[in-house]
Amino acid sequence: MKIREIGTGRLLRISSFLVILGLLLEIVSLLWFHPLSFVLFAFLAASLIGLGILLYLVSLVFVAAPQAGNTPIRPPVAGR
Amino acid sequence: MIGVLICQIVLSIALASVFLIRPALTHAASWKILAFLGLCVLPALCIVGGMNTHVQRSEQTQFCISCHVMIPYGQSLYVDDPSHIPAQHFQNHRVPADMACYSCHADYTIYGPLKDKLQGLKRIYMQYLSTPPDPAAIRIAGGFKNAQCLHCHLGARDFDGNAVHAALLESLKSEQTSCLTSGCHDTAHDVANLNHLKLWRPAQ
Repeated sequence: MKIREIGTGRLLRISSFLVILGLLLEIVSLLWFHPLSFVLFAFLAASLIGLGILLYLVSLVFVAAPQAGNTPIRPPVAGR
Repeated sequence: MIGVLICQIVLSIALASVFLIRPALTHAASWKILAFLGLCVLPALCIVGGMNTHVQRSEQTQFCISCHVMIPYGQSLYVDDPSHIPAQHFQNHRVPADMACYSCHADYTIYGPLKDKLQGLKRIYMQYLSTPPDPAAIRIAGGFKNAQCLHCHLGARDFDGNAVHAALLESLKSEQTSCLTSGCHDTAHDVANLNHLKLWRPAQ
């Protein structure tokens, strides 16, 4: 499936969900004073947030870009 | 500090929630900027802030001794005997009491903090997924380096004024003579005999 077919809305939703989940896990890791809290943050929370950011940036690059096939090509105006 | 970071995280969650519920808002230019802030800038700052907080937290004495096998090492800081090097440093505040472990066991090189974190992850693996070692059997891989002592002591008046230190300085710097195992300062964390040692109780 092409990224454009997924649609901006769905990509934004998935991206937002991943960022929110990651941030909630980060709050848990900050309030939990335990050696495993670092593992929770570094391997789960930061990864989810990073994936969310990456997906958002992908949505900007691939979905928002104009499709090359739909761009009208204007013929050169004579006399210029 | 954690309070500010949590406020930033909550703000970021609030902004991201808006785009989770109504992603169509991003068609307007002003909402596009807010989406960039809420889904890219703020979360990235939260990762940086979180990493910074966790790294600082992992330098605390309480963090180090929160692992079961490290508890005797924390207790050895209270041995009431000045010949015990870690206890003497901790009790006389020659190292910050809340960063006692890190002050002596940090690798003071350019990639030292990264190496320390990787070592820490290895210990977490041993603690939770492998067999934790007996506390008395724990040894530092490669031995305790003089560089960790010299990081603070080199250039100090009482260190430089000592004739033995002055005579062995080059040998100490090149790690040919060990501060700990050459017979001068050989009592570190004596956790095997901890039950027989008198402990210092600080006045509250």
